[in-house]
Amino acid sequence: MIPSALSHPVAEASIAPLSALPLDLVALLSLAHHPKAGAVVLFSGEVRDNSQGKAVDYLEYEAYPAMAIKMIHAIVAEAITRWKLTYAIAQHRTGKVQSGESAVVVITTSPHRAEAYAANRYIIDRIKHEAPIWKCEYFTDGTKEWGGNCNCQKQTGDANKHIYEFDHQHQTT
Amino acid sequence: MNIQTFAALKDYFSANFNVTENLHHISDLKTFLIQQNPAAQDILNISRFAVNDIFVDLDFEIKQHDTICIIPPSSGG
Repeated sequence: MIPSALSHPVAEASIAPLSALPLDLVALLSLAHHPKAGAVVLFSGEVRDNSQGKAVDYLEYEAYPAMAIKMIHAIVAEAITRWKLTYAIAQHRTGKVQSGESAVVVITTSPHRAEAYAANRYIIDRIKHEAPIWKCEYFTDGTKEWGGNCNCQKQTGDANKHIYEFDHQHQTT
Repeated sequence: MNIQTFAALKDYFSANFNVTENLHHISDLKTFLIQQNPAAQDILNISRFAVNDIFVDLDFEIKQHDTICIIPPSSGG
């Protein structure tokens, strides 16, 4: 049974962090409304039809579920505590995703917008850098290439140390 | 020990294989794998290692019955 917006607790809902099926942004958003939340932020990371100057046919996402599920739950739970959110979820696609489709969705809600925005950036940044999820780009010319979003190691010298957009934002503003 | 590889690493190693050499630390395993396939050196140098699903450093001690995942840089999102 899908919990109604009014009954779910002030915590992470039981949304599976990984989905092999298309992400239903409208259904996920409808679960996020909350009488104590004046702000609802939805980020959808979508597949572009081009990358590195080449036309993209589709992407294929691989995940290591045993670690990815636990990590996404932990990242979302940490954000809920840190920004006192009324609600937060994150869900990432696996398998083949076409351009224009959502590959990852993060929804955060809070009484006022500053916390929902900040928490949303935090969650997506950490998922992109840390969660064991990988994309392989398939181009229309028949070539393929594993994506390398996280190249922090080149700067930090340690594959376990990352440079986050939300930190950078924080330092420069 | 059982080794699992993912994504781009599967272009260099099987997704799942066993290593019976007497290795003591993650760094020994990394050296061993580079010897097995020198072309994998660059990707191994930027990969993370997890023992029994927990990320560990190169000086982490490994045991014969551990499952070790080699995690190339994330590219989700």
